[in-house]
Amino acid sequence: MSETFDAIVIGAGHNGLVAAARLAKEGKRVVVLEAAVEVGGLLGGADPVAAMPFGIHPKIASSLGLSRHGLCYGAPMKTLSFGGGERVEIDGSVARGVALEMAANYAELHRKLTRYSGALAKMLTKAPPRFRDGGLGDMLSMAQLGLSIRGLGKTDMRDMLRIILSNVWDLCEDEIGDGPLAAALAMDATLGGAMGPRSPGTVLTLLYRMASTGSGGAGQRSNPIGGAAAVVSALTKAAEASGASIRTSSPVARVLVDDSDRAVGVALENGTELRAPFILSNATPRRTLLDMLGAQHLNAEDVARLRHMATNGMVARIDLDLAELPEGLSEADLGQRIVVAQDMRRIERAFNAAKYGELPTEPAVEFTGRKTDAGWRLAALSQFAPCKLKGGWTKAKKDKLAKATTKAMEAALPGIGGKITGCDVRSPADLEATYGLTGGHWHHGELRIDQMLMMRPFAGAAQYRMPVAGLYLCGAGAHPGGDISGLPGWNAAGQAIKDGGAT
Amino acid sequence: MNKALTPRPQMPMGALPAPFHDRIAAENVQHSWMNWNGYASPGVLDTAEFEYFAIRNQSTLFDISPMCKFRIKGPDAEAVMNRMVTRDVRRQKPGRVSYVIWCDEDGNVVDDGTLFRRSEDEFLLFCQEPQLLWIKDIAWGFDVEVTEATHDLAGFAFQGPTTAATLRDLKIKEIETMRPFDIRDIKIAGKKVMISRTGFTGDLGYELVMAPKDALAVWDAVYAAGQLRGVRIIGYEALEMARIEAGFLLPRVDFISSQTNLRVNRARNPFEIGLDWLVTFDKPHYNGKRALQRLAGVAPKRKLVAIEVSKDKAAHHALVYHRKTREVGFVTSALWSATTKRNIAYAWLEAPFGQEVKDDLWVEIYLQREIEWQRRMERVMIVERPFFVHPRRTVTPPLNF
Repeated sequence: MSETFDAIVIGAGHNGLVAAARLAKEGKRVVVLEAAVEVGGLLGGADPVAAMPFGIHPKIASSLGLSRHGLCYGAPMKTLSFGGGERVEIDGSVARGVALEMAANYAELHRKLTRYSGALAKMLTKAPPRFRDGGLGDMLSMAQLGLSIRGLGKTDMRDMLRIILSNVWDLCEDEIGDGPLAAALAMDATLGGAMGPRSPGTVLTLLYRMASTGSGGAGQRSNPIGGAAAVVSALTKAAEASGASIRTSSPVARVLVDDSDRAVGVALENGTELRAPFILSNATPRRTLLDMLGAQHLNAEDVARLRHMATNGMVARIDLDLAELPEGLSEADLGQRIVVAQDMRRIERAFNAAKYGELPTEPAVEFTGRKTDAGWRLAALSQFAPCKLKGGWTKAKKDKLAKATTKAMEAALPGIGGKITGCDVRSPADLEATYGLTGGHWHHGELRIDQMLMMRPFAGAAQYRMPVAGLYLCGAGAHPGGDISGLPGWNAAGQAIKDGGAT
Repeated sequence: MNKALTPRPQMPMGALPAPFHDRIAAENVQHSWMNWNGYASPGVLDTAEFEYFAIRNQSTLFDISPMCKFRIKGPDAEAVMNRMVTRDVRRQKPGRVSYVIWCDEDGNVVDDGTLFRRSEDEFLLFCQEPQLLWIKDIAWGFDVEVTEATHDLAGFAFQGPTTAATLRDLKIKEIETMRPFDIRDIKIAGKKVMISRTGFTGDLGYELVMAPKDALAVWDAVYAAGQLRGVRIIGYEALEMARIEAGFLLPRVDFISSQTNLRVNRARNPFEIGLDWLVTFDKPHYNGKRALQRLAGVAPKRKLVAIEVSKDKAAHHALVYHRKTREVGFVTSALWSATTKRNIAYAWLEAPFGQEVKDDLWVEIYLQREIEWQRRMERVMIVERPFFVHPRRTVTPPLNF
């Protein structure tokens, strides 16, 4: 006799934990099945892949009482951009270290983008509308987005619609001019995606990121006290406090479907079967649907959409050990987000190489750091490093990327190269192998206009409900997607609760 | 004969000669060629009516080589076909043919075709529209090889009452035990031939498929053997008349494949087309099943119905009216059926017409009589498909005529 629950959550990444906590809070008997030995997904471990998380959405944090479970945020992170040799400091709308005129223009641009992202933010906390056979509620929810954009006023609305599908390059060139300040914005617009500053849609990704409001406000990452581990621990405690049980080292092999075409449980790789009327998967859409569920349960059109989902991961994660900090970098700086990109042109060049499956000679880098017993450890993200690298990810390729990354950092922070004592590169291919992350893509699938809202993960599978009844997607592959907001998990659990009430 | 006066075969621009082209061209006094899937296919060779009556009274050869043909082979062949079509392929034994349709995710019909089960792990699918990519999409993730066989297989339909007698003259013993939809591997003129008791005419008939290099030898043998039994090469026009009588539908004529429609509301589901009998829910998931289950529970918004029209003028392209005033549908295929002496047609009718409301329906027929147009309102009766099917179609062993 297999164990029975009200809901099974596959994967104990932060979205899985959020979903489990919300379901458990509603009184559901929930089990979370995690393949790895520890929970947290990309936030897990001593050197988490996502070392600079955005804040868990405030609505989720308060509903789940995360502060009671030990989650509190420090001051919002500043962005330090060292690209041009001199130091540019960005704190929300305030930029220091640039010409006065540029700073004023930046403040105006920031004000504008914050307003626009606010209009988008309303769409993030709920299930995206369904067009085909959608109900009145779906129409209203779409109308609401329209209204909130209209609510910006005629001038801003027109401006938003003018820029939203354009690229961050043109926007920054028009408004502030190229340089380390623009590069920092362009990093935000492109990080994690297969797009350079000149790719269409990068204004949308920037707005989207700014809409993922943490406690720090638009677009500022919030550093939880205790780091990513504190987020994981608070979510775990919140889920467990409501009665959810979390089982690690329990990789799911298959989602079980009964004769009435309903997902009814899962089979673990060791053969154990667990049953529940609701299965929520925090795995990527492709892993969930093609590997665990199986193409035989899907229409060919959906299989083709999954096969063709853009999921080419572009970010390598590099840990760098430093004996001591270089000149110009203080201990306090290390708690901030540090961008190494001279200007947007360099970022675009780095992307050009990656487009054709090659490594850039001058990658764009952002990093943060912490103190260790032996000195300092920097958690760096180096882009663009394509998952589908020509010739595959060999050790030589990793060394090449590490060398190029440290060279770029040396150019911005002279002296840092000589202080590096250790270096560990995790390629997108490594992330795919370790976390089952399709294409090594952070967001489980590119965040771009044709994979957003009701098109996320693909047309016909929005609203978290997968083609087989009872199966839900609760990870970054679902709306609203990546960054560490917890919203996909929260919304998916809400949808399951709603559907559960109806049956 | 003066060489300059000998008519030279003409070809539609760019069309390829099909495997039997030389034989058909020799008899094609009309030089009427159509482009069928890139091949030159005869529209009519001499007179459509003579060719039609040959289908009903003698025997006929029609080149089906241009049909799209696909081979699906491998351990998962059955699973892939079962995943694609709406019938239960698990119940189709090797050596049998079935008429199948397949649907897209919305439950709209992509195409119809004949599925030949050659063995446990090999199928041949014959259909109208190119489907290679569709089948490959269906087969993704399954252990099966899908190949296009359109140009690797030649074939002709051998249809009519005297076909069995002709094959008997050719000493084909296998036909004695062949029931409708059976397949046998035989030899004609020493060449390997796949013969099936299938066809598009509602009468006794066979389809023969062979390698292109053997095509002419087989054709010649059958054509020679059939001379005393009135064998005739026919074109599309005659076959079209027979297929309307036999109750078969033609994609692009009676309905639009959901892969080719441009307007979103043009695709049609099996319940609308009247092919419900091909849809089973008693099997694992297949393409469009969920949508079809939903559609099965609601009344179709429109329906393709068989109609009979008063008087003798075929209702080509006619609009259908209720009470002679309200427009409720249109005719897709129409024919004065010489065999059944009925004026028949297929028509699309918007609900509830043709479903609950069957009375007081009219077609508006336009007739041109020596350049003058006349308009006629004729009464419509909803009838059952097919209009014509002869008992000898199914008698086994088949009878001599």
